[in-house]
Amino acid sequence: MIGLMQRVSFRSLIIGSYIFLLAPLICVVVVSFNAEPVQQFPPRSWSLRWYAHALQLESFRNGAVISFALAVAAGLLATPIGVLAAIGLHRSHWRGKSALEAIFLAPLIVPGIVTGISLLIALAALDVREAPLRLLLGHTVAILPYSIRTVLASLARLDPALEEAAETLGASGLRSFRYILLPLIRPGILAGLVFGLILSFDDVSVSLFLVDARTTTLPLAIMSYLEYSFDPSIAAISSMLIAVTLGLAVLLERSFGLKRLLAG
Amino acid sequence: MSALRRSPALLMLPACLLVTGCLLLPIAYLIGLSFNPPVVGEVELTTTLTLRNYARLLDWFYASVLLKTLWVSIVTTAISAVLGIALALSLWRTPAQWRGLLVVVVLAPLLVSIVARTFGWMLLLGDAGIINNALIGLGVIREPLHMMFTQGAVIVGLVHVFLPFMVLSVLAAFDRIDPAIPEAADTLGAGPFTIFWQVILPLLNPGVAAGVTIVFSLAMSSYVTPALMGGSSAGVLTTLVYQQLVVTYDWHFGAALVAVLLATTLVILGSVLYANAVRTARWMGRR
Repeated sequence: MIGLMQRVSFRSLIIGSYIFLLAPLICVVVVSFNAEPVQQFPPRSWSLRWYAHALQLESFRNGAVISFALAVAAGLLATPIGVLAAIGLHRSHWRGKSALEAIFLAPLIVPGIVTGISLLIALAALDVREAPLRLLLGHTVAILPYSIRTVLASLARLDPALEEAAETLGASGLRSFRYILLPLIRPGILAGLVFGLILSFDDVSVSLFLVDARTTTLPLAIMSYLEYSFDPSIAAISSMLIAVTLGLAVLLERSFGLKRLLAG
Repeated sequence: MSALRRSPALLMLPACLLVTGCLLLPIAYLIGLSFNPPVVGEVELTTTLTLRNYARLLDWFYASVLLKTLWVSIVTTAISAVLGIALALSLWRTPAQWRGLLVVVVLAPLLVSIVARTFGWMLLLGDAGIINNALIGLGVIREPLHMMFTQGAVIVGLVHVFLPFMVLSVLAAFDRIDPAIPEAADTLGAGPFTIFWQVILPLLNPGVAAGVTIVFSLAMSSYVTPALMGGSSAGVLTTLVYQQLVVTYDWHFGAALVAVLLATTLVILGSVLYANAVRTARWMGRR
């Protein structure tokens, strides 16, 4: 009897947790199809008008363009740097290695808001006040650890005999890198890149202090829109973000494994 | 390339320069600035050292913000730990063909924009929100419950945002448990309750400790959720920093607040890892 009660209460805790995790996301998506200007659940009539409205808003459009360009630029900058660092870490066997590893993972430990503020102040002291440059540097350093970790995970699974065989058969270092190593670690590189794109596109904490009045990212544009209006266009833009990220999440799960990617 | 093969240090040089130049040196500069006397709008480092910025933290208003931040983070971490262990336990016992799907359901929200997720809670908890409408519609209450813009709302939002991190850490610890161990306890006559508290939970220690440190430091430094769901009364450290840097331009005091935030995070992180190492060492010694 006690065992049954325990099992029932455990079950309801678990089901409650799943509802807790999913409810806000589902509400956002449902409300986005509401035809009325007031947030109503469930909506009385349905429409796509808030999607049209969100897509026409100047601040959302500018924000989306800037966030997209920023994510791509930071991803393309961080990925090669991260790949080289991971290969270097994988190949070095000296004592300072763990110290270097700690330095590379530092952007994970330092809160994003601290990264943003430090960069803002240091660059201001150097008289650099261009928001696009500040954002690019901040985002690149923030996503670097993910690229290093995913590539390191791929390298750890690699059979060292493969590269040695290539070398024995006379392949130069560059050829062996191009034809042996690169294809083998490609899933890790791509997973790191896609994850970096998502993180950069959704980032608020690093960007918060690095944006300026003319250069604002999409999440911050949404936040400032929320401050003075509460119509369902926020739900519409949020639903679009949810759709894109969940699509990428499925892609990452298929290609690399979400658990492995996030746990490192 | 063959030169690079022999010296992996060269391969790591760009990453080192990036992290040092864009993170470590700026943090050092910020800490330096926090010991300079406050001059509005000034960011040049000077040689005049002072503790004035830190002394301001003794002011009751600022001390209360710091305490409130700690309290919100501790409660968030505790709730996340309980729910996270329960969720990870149920995932661990789920048959393999369902587990992959459920793991994705738990982890995918991590990738969804934090602004979108916080907005979802604003829809649910508002005075004219979904929960209030449902309760009034069902006749449970007459007046809407005031849930938004309270400390409780911030905690709910933070638990939602950070719970997947906890599940992830605990799940990693579950994956390392040899299934023969709980089976052995079962054979020896231990009930499911005893097995969980006496056998499984101690083995989960490293994962729970990792999850607790991650969630705590993320909660301490979160901005979006307190700013959107907390209202003006539920100010935390990060919203105070934002005010100092963007509204009042007191960069020196802002730098001191950031230094406190960073130090708290690092101290908590270090002490949990240390306590865990000590406990593990003692446990190994007992055997």
